Amino acid sequence: MSSPSPQLDGLHYDVIVVGAGLAGSLVAKQLGDHGWRVLVLEAGTRTLDTWPGHLDAMKAYYGALAKVPNAPYRGNIAAPSPDLLDLEGLPGGGYRANGYFVQNGNLPYASDYLRAAGGTALHWMGLTPRMHPEDFAARTAFGYGRDWPIGYADLEPHYRAAERVLGVAGDAAEQRDAIGLPFPDGYCYPMHAIPRSHLDNVLAARLDGIPVRESDDAPPTTLRVVTTPHARNSTPDLRYDQGRGYRPAGAAGLPNYGERCVGNASCVPICPVQAKYNPLKTQATWSCKVDLVPRAVVSRVLANANGRVFGVEYQQYDDPASPVHTTRTAEADIVVLAAHAIENAKLLLVSRLANHSGQVGRNLMDHPVLLTWGLLDEPVGPFRGPGSTSGLECFRTGPARRDRAPFRIEIANWGWSWPTGSPSGDVARMLGITGDSGQPRGRGRFGTGLREALGRRIGRQISLQFAVEQDAESRNRVTIDPALRDRLGNPRPVITYDLSDHVKRGIAAAKAVSDRIFGILGAEDHTDYAPGPFAPGHFRYDGRDFVYHGAGHGAGTHVMGDSRETSVVDSWQRCWDHSNLYAVGCGSMPSVGTSNPSLTMAALALRSCEQIHRDLMDLHRPRVIRPVRVARARTGEGRT
Amino acid sequence: MTAPASPTDIAGEPAVVDEPPFRVPRDRADLHTFLQAALALEHLTIPPYLTAMYTLRPGTNRPAFYAVRAVVLEEMLHMTLVANLLNAVGGRPLVANSRFVTGYPARLPYSRDRFPVALRHFGVAALETFLRIEHPAYVAEPPGHPSVAGDEGWTSVGQFYAAIREGLLSLVRAMGEGELFTGDPARQVGPQDFYNSGGEVFPVTGLASALKAVEVITDQGEGADRTVFDTDDRFFGEVREPAHYFRFNEILQQRTYGPQDTPASGPSGPALEVGWSDVYPVDSEAKVRHYPHGSAVREAAERFNAGYARLLWVLECAYGGRPAVLREAVPVMLELRDLAERLYRNPHPDAEKAARGLHASATYEVTEAHFAAARERWSPDRG
Amino acid sequence: MDSRHAAPSPEPVEVPPECRGFVAISVRLTGFDEFDLRATGMVRLYHDTTVDQVGREAVGRFIDDLAAVGGDPDDLADETSRDIARAITHLWYLGVWPQLARSVHAALGREKANVAFMVSPEAYTEGLVWRTFHGHAPGAKPPGFGTWAAPPPGAAPLPAADCRTEGAA
Repeated sequence: MSSPSPQLDGLHYDVIVVGAGLAGSLVAKQLGDHGWRVLVLEAGTRTLDTWPGHLDAMKAYYGALAKVPNAPYRGNIAAPSPDLLDLEGLPGGGYRANGYFVQNGNLPYASDYLRAAGGTALHWMGLTPRMHPEDFAARTAFGYGRDWPIGYADLEPHYRAAERVLGVAGDAAEQRDAIGLPFPDGYCYPMHAIPRSHLDNVLAARLDGIPVRESDDAPPTTLRVVTTPHARNSTPDLRYDQGRGYRPAGAAGLPNYGERCVGNASCVPICPVQAKYNPLKTQATWSCKVDLVPRAVVSRVLANANGRVFGVEYQQYDDPASPVHTTRTAEADIVVLAAHAIENAKLLLVSRLANHSGQVGRNLMDHPVLLTWGLLDEPVGPFRGPGSTSGLECFRTGPARRDRAPFRIEIANWGWSWPTGSPSGDVARMLGITGDSGQPRGRGRFGTGLREALGRRIGRQISLQFAVEQDAESRNRVTIDPALRDRLGNPRPVITYDLSDHVKRGIAAAKAVSDRIFGILGAEDHTDYAPGPFAPGHFRYDGRDFVYHGAGHGAGTHVMGDSRETSVVDSWQRCWDHSNLYAVGCGSMPSVGTSNPSLTMAALALRSCEQIHRDLMDLHRPRVIRPVRVARARTGEGRT
Repeated sequence: MTAPASPTDIAGEPAVVDEPPFRVPRDRADLHTFLQAALALEHLTIPPYLTAMYTLRPGTNRPAFYAVRAVVLEEMLHMTLVANLLNAVGGRPLVANSRFVTGYPARLPYSRDRFPVALRHFGVAALETFLRIEHPAYVAEPPGHPSVAGDEGWTSVGQFYAAIREGLLSLVRAMGEGELFTGDPARQVGPQDFYNSGGEVFPVTGLASALKAVEVITDQGEGADRTVFDTDDRFFGEVREPAHYFRFNEILQQRTYGPQDTPASGPSGPALEVGWSDVYPVDSEAKVRHYPHGSAVREAAERFNAGYARLLWVLECAYGGRPAVLREAVPVMLELRDLAERLYRNPHPDAEKAARGLHASATYEVTEAHFAAARERWSPDRG
Repeated sequence: MDSRHAAPSPEPVEVPPECRGFVAISVRLTGFDEFDLRATGMVRLYHDTTVDQVGREAVGRFIDDLAAVGGDPDDLADETSRDIARAITHLWYLGVWPQLARSVHAALGREKANVAFMVSPEAYTEGLVWRTFHGHAPGAKPPGFGTWAAPPPGAAPLPAADCRTEGAA
């Protein structure tokens, strides 16, 4: 090693933030801008905020056989990440989990995340729909899941703040009109909406205004294709911010390099031009009050007997391929956990903190995603543009939620890549190459015949992605087991996961809606839910097969609520049991609705910053020493 | 800092680019002529830069690729700023005609040297051309100054722009700012229409923004006032970067400039990796007529030239009062990028040239027929 | 300016046309013409990968077998030669050398693992499969802002906005 690791032992900060992902980067930014000294500890490496680091990730992505979300990012045994390739479906149904997670549930938790500076939002899709007002009180209104202690109106200003810092392109008028989202009068997003794909337009032409019933006795729902807001550089809206406009943020790591989306069609797992927001862009604007220490795995949060936390213990390593590390401590007035829902829960459990309610690690949620796929009767231009530019929003809300989970339908712009691994699978099949090299191969076709057949088939691929709301259930949980540890000796997350019947009914309804949509489109349905190695999310419900996928939206492991008895954090994401310990991120969400959660997570983090700032101001307010005479008088009165 | 030597490998007589008379623009019409010439000048260097960029073998020479790319994008910014300037003073930017695109090799204009600017593959000769183009030589006073009384022609691009600046100032003095800047503000290209690396387009609406445009164009190219760095930090709140000349010198020297380096010291920062052989060499005087009729290479080269005409036609529409149309230029450029790369990877159809390791190339020969076809095929109204 | 002159000559020496026979066979296998194949810049790498993976001898037999059926790979009868045809085509379409059939792997007596691999990062970006439907490899060769809104070649034009509303009602 050429230079010693920063010696932080004994150093005292105002705030320690655990995790340099989306939430942590925003918290550090806000508090650093207020002038507070912030230490950010990142378990993973920090190589992607330079241009050579970014290009290395691009090369790793190009070279990867399986283009899974973590493909561009180098492995790290000191701070391992779960990977989609860890899960394997069994021939007769069921699954096997390898890798970082230990899974013992009926069904697998099927999402990954990324432990590296920048976090999982390096490979997010970048869609930023707001939650619907009725999502915040699903228990009261529809009798399932958990309610939020705050509502849409409380969060609305923070949504706008989040839309500014992430740089959102969208059409507020359409969101209001089609989904019923309340916006302040005259509000527009920083940038004009990302253009719809040709496929969106084809679907709109064939579906808009058509009523469909999800079952024979259900009321009709009118279809409408709605443009999705994105945290992606588009055309700045001159009307934004009272006519001051908006300046898009360029790429991190290469000076003066920034573009609007050029249609690389690889948002997941990596945007080559960084038109898509990622937390490295926020990190590039941190004030000098913020120190980021990468390769620092926080192993424990340290607390006094009186319940106040005073810092963290962390393991610093130099080589991501070796378990060798040094244990250090750092101290601060306030500690903010921002390490991902599952990692936050793990840390609280290891530290034996914040668990008066017994809810730490429980209520684990994701958006189980049902995929359906088919061929349209004409070329649709798949594999172009962002992964999804529009959706059908009409099954997100309404009284049907009493009976089944609601869902949001994303129109997939990338053909059958998610459901079948297209186009690699198409090429192999047409060449007669079978999955098992021991099986006899088909004759296969060659030459112009092959070329034309592939073009005809792939060019007509369409797919719908139904993101289903999962309700908070205390049985879905993250625990730790002292016997199951990673290479640095930290416990691996032990995950127990299943889908409720409410969710399964939502999935079945989604399939029914898909059948009707494919019927209206005149699409040839190729959806297939057979069990197999690529279907770890296979289950049977009501006599039928289904396969769900993970959305990467892990949430709920330190839920917020209005009581210390039933929730882990308050509405400021402050632990009820420890007034100077915050746990931020999707883990705080009591319900996830049907919106991709990053925007809501960002809004919550920005809201928490206001309270953290107030807490710090209180801590630094000079103590008022009461005059002795008054104190005596009070004592004399026998009152406290 | 020695000036690069003149290359001797160009066989043909380089094309000569029209230069306005050696004087400070006297009236509005004169100013239009000067600005139209400036537009052509900013465009002149783009094809050579693109040729160097796209002859790099894929995945190699990334530092060089991004350095040239940044410069190309700044040239496009300069073109657009000149168009704004021309529109602001009531002119009409014209880019979609065969006179606008010079033949290559062309003689470097606004210079006493007879230096050929050719379409070269990435390498030492190309970089020497770029250094010559962006050379921050001593800038003589504009015409009319006693110190240049004996001169009969332009001696540098900087001098040409200084004359434009002088002309702007004197015309404002003579006619008043409001009288000179009569252009329709709706014709101005703004940051909502164009943003990318290396600064932002801003509307030109009066003398201050006009002078700022001239300053951006000259500073990004040749460096600000005897330093290595440009003024992007001051103008755009962006990171300071070495000006074009010094970026190219970094590649040639295979070393970057450090914060304390000066033009005299040369680059003394970290080493910069350059793979001189990770390149598709091309014939720097290639013409479409060198490719056999009916060959796939000829067809692709023709298609490239037709596409380039389409790009210029889109630009002319954007500069001619439809700024939002600028957005359409990017897909055309990216299509041209793919086509050019595909050409460079194919061997030259001529066996003798192929034996010398030369590859096919894009020739940037744009004819009136190409422009007519481009107008026929696309209009901003039809989309 | 010494290092400039110390820079090696940028002119590599090649004897053209590179891998002529391999390209001619690849044209028959892939259905793409010589210009398209050479435009990938991958000719040499794919040729070398093929020879390296199955050996000169098997490549020779494959060439003979193909010549014997008039160059039409659809008529290849020998399973080893046919699997080599599949592998080379797979390579061109995806940049990936595939797993060979287990029997072919054994018959060739290959001393390497029978696993699929991406032959180089750039090979991925040059896959021909994307061209079959006028697309591009995700993450490479982006076509520009908003291009995804345009109908792809061969698509029927969309009805104008007002007809759309009408048709939907």
